Amino acid sequence: MSNEFVLKIENLTKTYSMGKRCVSPLVDLDLEVRKGEFISVMGPSGSGKTTLLNIIGCIDRASEGRVFLGEVDVAGLSESRLCKIRRDRIGFVFQSFNLLSYLNARENVELAMELAGKFGGQRRQRALELLSMVGLSGREQHRPARLSQGEQQRVAIARALANEPALILADEPTGNLDVVNKQEIVRLLVDLNERRGTTIIVVTHDEAVAAQTRRMMYLKDGKILEKNNRQANRGNFDEGLTREVFEK
Amino acid sequence: MGILTRASRSIQRRKTKSLIAIVALTLALTMIIILPPSINARQNFTQKAIDHLAWNSDILKDMVTLSATEIECNYPITMNMAPSDVEGKMIWSKHQPLINEILRDSIASIPDVVDLIPILLDHASNDRAYVIYGVPIDDASIHKVPTLLPINITQGRNLQAGDRGVVVLDEWLAQKLGASVGETVTILDHPFTVIGIEGQYPQYYEVGSRVTMSLPDAQVLVNATGSASTYKIFVNSVDSVNTVVTRLKNLDPTLNVVAGFFELNIAQSLQNQIDALNDVAQSNFNQIRITGMTEMGVAVVTNVVVILFIMLYSVRERTREIGTLKAMGASTSKVLGQFILEGVILNVIAVVLAIGISIFFTTYVSSLILPTPIQTSVSIGWDPSGTLVLGHYSFGDQPIRPGQESSNLIGASITPWVMLFGLGVAVCLGVFGSLYPALRAAQIKPAEAMRFDE
Ligand SMILES: Nc1ncnc2c1ncn2[C@@H]1O[C@H](COP(=O)(O)OP(=O)(O)OP(=O)(O)O)[C@@H](O)[C@H]1O
Ligand SMILES: [Mg+2]
Repeated sequence: MSNEFVLKIENLTKTYSMGKRCVSPLVDLDLEVRKGEFISVMGPSGSGKTTLLNIIGCIDRASEGRVFLGEVDVAGLSESRLCKIRRDRIGFVFQSFNLLSYLNARENVELAMELAGKFGGQRRQRALELLSMVGLSGREQHRPARLSQGEQQRVAIARALANEPALILADEPTGNLDVVNKQEIVRLLVDLNERRGTTIIVVTHDEAVAAQTRRMMYLKDGKILEKNNRQANRGNFDEGLTREVFEK
Repeated sequence: MGILTRASRSIQRRKTKSLIAIVALTLALTMIIILPPSINARQNFTQKAIDHLAWNSDILKDMVTLSATEIECNYPITMNMAPSDVEGKMIWSKHQPLINEILRDSIASIPDVVDLIPILLDHASNDRAYVIYGVPIDDASIHKVPTLLPINITQGRNLQAGDRGVVVLDEWLAQKLGASVGETVTILDHPFTVIGIEGQYPQYYEVGSRVTMSLPDAQVLVNATGSASTYKIFVNSVDSVNTVVTRLKNLDPTLNVVAGFFELNIAQSLQNQIDALNDVAQSNFNQIRITGMTEMGVAVVTNVVVILFIMLYSVRERTREIGTLKAMGASTSKVLGQFILEGVILNVIAVVLAIGISIFFTTYVSSLILPTPIQTSVSIGWDPSGTLVLGHYSFGDQPIRPGQESSNLIGASITPWVMLFGLGVAVCLGVFGSLYPALRAAQIKPAEAMRFDE
């Protein structure tokens, strides 16, 4: 783990206004993330986890405060600049995978690179490597409908990795998966983080998933409560372990 | 796997909807391809009719002017009260004094008289059941008074400028004399070669049959060199007609003088008929254009609307997909591009089908959707009695029965240019129709799209 900041958030507030009513899921929030960290964000439904991830991932804007991705303050950037940052520096993994149903596994991974302007041959080669890395060799030609949910999520992870992003953002990546698939995906993420040093922020409701991360955060009242999880018990899905971490 | 693959895959995936859209687009594009050349072909036909009518109208105007400036003069006929049977025909022997050269010169010297056409008509008599009819056979005279010559030659040929010693017999006379074309007949002791037979006209039964020959031949036959029974007198303008008529009466009060007002009335009624036909043709021409343009407009709007709706629907249906693409960093132009391309691909598939349909069904379709052009025109002619009439004829080599188009003539051809035009239009309308949906797609905010439930 280096000292280089991948992400730095200062005094972030997000307010949604719906007519007269205003909702502020994030209030005056600070966060620093270094390269190679693996962070989990938990919190009750509606606490602003997705909102935070969207702002970090540049698909939503902060109402107040500053968000640095690397050295760049993204708050003031134009939509087209944000678009480039999403493409080149962020990898999203969604709860519902969001693969394009009319493209096969390889094409879904290639799509990310095509958007980044990479060329055909290079693109295809890398897509095959990534798919083999997530354990999907031989399934490249299959469309999402013919893959299991866990396999689909692995394609989504391969896709998120395609442009070697500085940051992987996963919003409840295991929310739709059964226990076996869930374990596979978590193992894959842990592996990525440990072997390749990929910085990952994962939003989850699942304490067993959070327990696999070194830094566990808890969103409450628009702020982050943080706990260092030194006993991170990799590969051990003992729910009791994580629960006591946050018990005060 | 580029933007094109993605666009066409996404069309393939939505099979039924794409198919329905393509069918509708194909119908609209078929119209768009077929209409312009069909409108053109049909308008050309009607234009041809209009041109012919105008041409005939001009001829008629010339003839009206000519008739209006024509005066016929001759001496009255005296007729025996009792008919006699000559060669099986009841003949009223008639006598008509001839106009001699002196009177002719006097007539010619009347101011404003520009031309004289002599006719020698020697009536049937007790020993002859036919009329000897001598006319000047020079081109100028025939052009001026086309009815001088027989107009219904059934065998052989008509008289021509320079003919001497030849005759045209009518059928009754030919039969009576037992003569056919090329044979020699004797008329008042003179031999003549028969060069033509003219059809029998009911009218001639009243006056007897006739033999037509050159004026000099006729003058020799009846021993009246330089004389004529009737002069057609042409004056320089309509205004001088009355003066000349008075002068003629002064020359010899017994002369029958008739100005050509009768022809004038007929010509006027023909002119009215031509004008009426012209109105019909003109309104047909306009109708073809208006109907065609309206249909073209409807087809274009239909095409655009179908694309607009299918693409709007598609964008709505795929909000999450678009959100994903944008979250992955797809630029506005990439999203715009994909959706416009999808609209264009739909229309290009449709235009290929439409071109195929057009190649085989243009004639049929255009006869369904466009008014039938006027394919007939008139020609001015004379009926057997020498009265001016309008004859109707159709263009092309095929007679046209009422209510039936001669399809081979109206069928517009789908040339490569027409195909290219269709393709161009399809691409343009595809872009145009999918522009708004594509803009909607490009404006989708990924954060909100992700919350959107499918
Ligand atoms: N576009 C929006 N307009 C208005 N309110 C919004 C919008 N997006 C989110 N919110 C509100 O902001 C709050 C935080 O939402 P968010 O989706 O971030 O919660 P979450 O922690 O991800 O919840 P969950 O665990 O259910 O996914 C919620 O109260 C939500 O209603
Ligand atoms: Mg959420």
